[in-house]
Amino acid sequence: MEQNKADGKRKLNWILTGAAIAFAALAIAVCLLLQPKTGASDRFVIRYGDGKTIAFSAWETRTVVIRDGELADRATGEGDENVIRIENGEAWMEQANCPHGECVKQGRLSEETVKKRPLGTWIVCAPHRVYIELAGDGQ
Amino acid sequence: MKIRTLTKMALLTAAALILGYIDSLIPLVPTVPGIKLGLSNLVLLYAVFYMGPVETVVLMLLKVGLSSLLFGNAVGALYALAGGVLSTAAMLLLHRIPRVSVIPVSTAGGILHIVGQCAVGCLLISYRPVLFYAPWLLISGTATGLLLGIAARAAFFGIERYERRRGE
Repeated sequence: MEQNKADGKRKLNWILTGAAIAFAALAIAVCLLLQPKTGASDRFVIRYGDGKTIAFSAWETRTVVIRDGELADRATGEGDENVIRIENGEAWMEQANCPHGECVKQGRLSEETVKKRPLGTWIVCAPHRVYIELAGDGQ
Repeated sequence: MKIRTLTKMALLTAAALILGYIDSLIPLVPTVPGIKLGLSNLVLLYAVFYMGPVETVVLMLLKVGLSSLLFGNAVGALYALAGGVLSTAAMLLLHRIPRVSVIPVSTAGGILHIVGQCAVGCLLISYRPVLFYAPWLLISGTATGLLLGIAARAAFFGIERYERRRGE
């Protein structure tokens, strides 16, 4: 009797754990299927603040400073600040004073690095709501 | 609320904050922000199994609020709150199933935490970066949820043995 109870409990827990993992696997599959295919990309689109967007050719050389959701002339290290560098077809987060500086660690974004990057065509600074996207082909 | 419960809640909040801080010092995958062990979820699991739903929800809100105030910012708090609400609801619901163990509860909590965060990401940014981001987070959420569940089962076994000995 006790043995049956223990077996039933074990079975129930295996089923529930399996169902949770199956749900996660399904969600991953849906994300992978819906991911946009990357074509030829020629510009970096920077999204910041409340829905503001600015785009630059991937081949220009530029430093973009965003502070407290607005474009700024130069970096001061004050407020919520991100410094983005665009050079030779690459863009990267040069500096950021967000809590863990994780956007700086995301490395360089370019047509060559897209397939190797976990975040694909994006560099994301979630705490400051600053996002860089490598775009092209009518995106 | 009894003094004993209040003291327990204060201790658990402190433990959750310390574990959350330790968590933020361990970069699992530096190129994918947000991947964490979720150590402070151990405290919530304890609350789900040994305290009540009200205490669990209060603990989750305290953990999210205080850790965002101490180590994060307002946007981070939104992500943490969405993840916390969804995972706590899932864990409390699963716990109502008779004879359920901590492992499926923790795994579901880890996965639903990510789902909540991705939902906020879709609202705040766009669904497009979330499509790249979510698979990594879901893999880590499932793995850490499962591992934390196994760790919690061992810890709960020890707690119950201690309680039994004290009662003898």
